[in-house]
Amino acid sequence: MTRPKLRKKIILLSITVIIEIVALIFFWNALKKTDVTNGQASPALGTSGGLPNLLGDLNLILPISFLVILLGIACAFYVEEWLSATNWVRRFIESQVAFLTGIPSLLYGLLAVAVFFGYAGVFKATLQNAEGSALAGTPFQRNTALFYTETLIFILTVMPVAIKTTQTALRSVETPIRESAYALGATQWQVLTKQVVPRAFPRMLAGGCRAMARAFAAAALLVGIYAWSHTMELRGFPDRFMLFLGGALLLSNASSFLTEIYVPASTQHN
Amino acid sequence: MQTEKEQSILSIRDLSVWYGDNQILKSLSFEVQQGQVTALIGPTNCGKSALVRCLNRLNDFTPDFRFTGEILFKGSDMYAEKTDTAAIRKQIGMVFRKPRPFQCSIYENVAYGARISGISQSSQLDDIVQKNLQKTCLWDEVESILDETPEQLSTGQQQLLCIARALAVEPDILILDEPCGELDPIETVKIETLVRDLTKDYTLIFATNKRRQAARISDAAGFLYCGELIEFGMTERIFTNPQDTKTEQYVTGKLG
Repeated sequence: MTRPKLRKKIILLSITVIIEIVALIFFWNALKKTDVTNGQASPALGTSGGLPNLLGDLNLILPISFLVILLGIACAFYVEEWLSATNWVRRFIESQVAFLTGIPSLLYGLLAVAVFFGYAGVFKATLQNAEGSALAGTPFQRNTALFYTETLIFILTVMPVAIKTTQTALRSVETPIRESAYALGATQWQVLTKQVVPRAFPRMLAGGCRAMARAFAAAALLVGIYAWSHTMELRGFPDRFMLFLGGALLLSNASSFLTEIYVPASTQHN
Repeated sequence: MQTEKEQSILSIRDLSVWYGDNQILKSLSFEVQQGQVTALIGPTNCGKSALVRCLNRLNDFTPDFRFTGEILFKGSDMYAEKTDTAAIRKQIGMVFRKPRPFQCSIYENVAYGARISGISQSSQLDDIVQKNLQKTCLWDEVESILDETPEQLSTGQQQLLCIARALAVEPDILILDEPCGELDPIETVKIETLVRDLTKDYTLIFATNKRRQAARISDAAGFLYCGELIEFGMTERIFTNPQDTKTEQYVTGKLG
């Protein structure tokens, strides 16, 4: 009964993804025609192509997001499975998560630019070329500085969403299923690994996608705003803008798809 | 009297249970004898489920649960510190009102208990699965579809599967919490017959709100009403010569 439904969903998802990609390509072309990228960029900055930029961005984003989401999931497991509802640590974490998820992600992007880049002086370091500068060989080379900045911002932006969605995923596993496993003498660890996680996994994955989509959307907005106001110093735009926008779209799509896959057992019986 | 005490596998002494500020059970005391079916009867919401959930420490997961009193399993306090709760639950199995098979194959459902106990040899698992499905008279019906999910089984078959799953852990006591609550009369008869067969090897605790069912299958019976154990004794006496007026009213159908 479930398989044809799943196939239908996969077909639908593929169609939406194709439509999105086509729309993005059209959009990209339209942007290129306005000559935003080639405007008056200096030759030194303009030499780097779009692809290295994109790969560089992904190289930076993917490991960090993986780590941060993993940390968020671990945190959610600890809070949801090991702490009682009245525990003050749990209440503190949950209130903070509610607070942080309530803030539009663009603000975190602005925070990243303002505080970590501007105030903390990281921005200067990133602008300087590694060779020939006083900062050469120090941790504040371009990628290192970006790495720290991005990790901190991801902890603020991505982790609360990851915690929240993982918690929801864990709660979506019905109590009777847990109880049946416990009643058979399973330990908490066995119940988690053999019953809860397999059932909650699609939703946890969806949560991770949603968290990432949030970060990507913020990045796309920032890159867009920055690019349109400072066309001169632009490198790799609109490639980056498209990467983040496309990423955000695809991830949110994947998130809703993964949420749809999971059908609770109770509705299957009825 | 002495021999009776020796056979007692589970003693509940002065047990009171609260969920938050609500007192669910009020100072219950009774003994469960080995190899018998002990029925707990009473109308809905009288505390049967809360009571049986105490007996294998499932209430540990209920928020705001607290209790006073003692539950002795084979002479030792079940709620003593450092008790291995998983080991307790392996010895005291439980089947719930609504059958909840896991979303894996029928085979894996029954093999689950053996697997978590560390048995992984396929020949051993095959034996366990076959033996327990035969015990619950389900083997002939599911032999050909062992690798499929239990969704296609009827509710009654699913309940039998849940019983087989619980038996595969080889418990000493099996608690059945209204196992026929969701079943039709024909499936109910199957479960009742099975319960009578199982008394050879197991001690059973059977919570039900059907008084006739308790009369048919149990050896001892306790009547719970609003969290109080009104009367406890041999089933025959409870149903033919009740000491308490409330019990009399309940078994004759005037109450609850």
